[in-house]
Amino acid sequence: MKAGGTDFHTHPMLVREMVRRHPELEDAARKVFFIGNTFQPLETFLSELDAAGLERAVVVPIDATRTRGTAVYSNEQIAELCAMSDRLVGFATVDPRCADAPKIVENAVGKLGLRGLKLAPAMQEFYADEQACYPVYECAAALGIPVLFHAGMSWEPGSRLKYGHPMRFEDVAADFPKLKMVLAHLAWPWVTDAVALALKYPNIHLDTSALYFDNPHDFLRFTMTVQVPLTVFERSLRKQIVFGSNYPRVEIKNMARAVRALGFSEECLDLVFRGNAEALLGGVR
Amino acid sequence: MRFRLTRVEVQSCKDLEMIDITEHVEAAVASSGVVEGLVTVTTAHTSSGLLVTEGVECLERDVLAHLERLAPKDPPAGSYGYWHNRYLDYDGRLGFNAGDHLKSILGGMQCFFPIESGKVVRGGRQRVYFVEYDGPLARTVMIQVMGNTAVEAGA
Repeated sequence: MKAGGTDFHTHPMLVREMVRRHPELEDAARKVFFIGNTFQPLETFLSELDAAGLERAVVVPIDATRTRGTAVYSNEQIAELCAMSDRLVGFATVDPRCADAPKIVENAVGKLGLRGLKLAPAMQEFYADEQACYPVYECAAALGIPVLFHAGMSWEPGSRLKYGHPMRFEDVAADFPKLKMVLAHLAWPWVTDAVALALKYPNIHLDTSALYFDNPHDFLRFTMTVQVPLTVFERSLRKQIVFGSNYPRVEIKNMARAVRALGFSEECLDLVFRGNAEALLGGVR
Repeated sequence: MRFRLTRVEVQSCKDLEMIDITEHVEAAVASSGVVEGLVTVTTAHTSSGLLVTEGVECLERDVLAHLERLAPKDPPAGSYGYWHNRYLDYDGRLGFNAGDHLKSILGGMQCFFPIESGKVVRGGRQRVYFVEYDGPLARTVMIQVMGNTAVEAGA
């Protein structure tokens, strides 16, 4: 595998420097995102990337103001965090039902330098195929940025699984063929549905950040070799799978080790860890 | 009698790592004013440990490799796996690091040395190690010095 490599799905919930600057992020971590681990210096996050053999990480916020009363990082806070390390790639967030949503996204990309959009239907309580969200998709497609959707099961208490069903993304993929979509967590437990979508719609990508029982090694082996044969990913979806860990719900090192142990060819691993993320982000910057 | 507790943050950079913290222990004793007594060193975490051994890199590798053999990160194949492979609601994530907790139990989480004439009494080759079993992480080590000051010892 060539040097570089990206973790396409991380949440900077435990970065201590940011929690000290913005104390409200502690409540966001504990009461909205529901993560109980200790806050850590940014150095730990970067060392996690080193331990996984990766160069950079996408860091995502979630605007849960309407549904949870707070943002799990704002766009400005993500930009502030990314200014601390050139190894972090910031994504934006917005309430997609908000009338100003396209302007907010344009501002986040144009002025804050963010390079993608994260939407979390379960936490933000919307269905991806609602017409009210379409202006945001038009905006993202025009900007050429990827949209990372939470899909599948959510751990947060109060979040409903119904918002994460992959079939709620089909109309979006069909109506916006130039929109670069990433469905997170392999949309587990609906992995076969998500794979069917990706097979049919080349603008749909899947990230590997799935862990719902056992451990990364055993879980991914089950979902990516038993639920769906590995050959489907290797032969048909090699350019539509990106590595994601969902850190800090899973350590980057553990998820990377699990993906590398699946049995992909070296060429495919290079796409999963490096090439596909670079294509989605429009190259390395 | 004086008791003084010092908390030291240790940043590990690897998954498995031995970090020599002898100087932290000696500094805590020196600054405490205790001239005769005891110092204890304790890790605050259940997937890390405290060990005393010779300070050479080859031995560090052997210690980590031996503990990994005894308590592997991946669940042992065959007749049993790890029970600690499930969702932990208090953490908001799955626990799957049973091997790291078991290493901590096998290797121990504490050590102690006597203090004499204001200095840690240890063998010439003995070094105090914080041992990371599930890094990288910023960890806390507690150094508790207890004993008599020079005045109390009548020196």
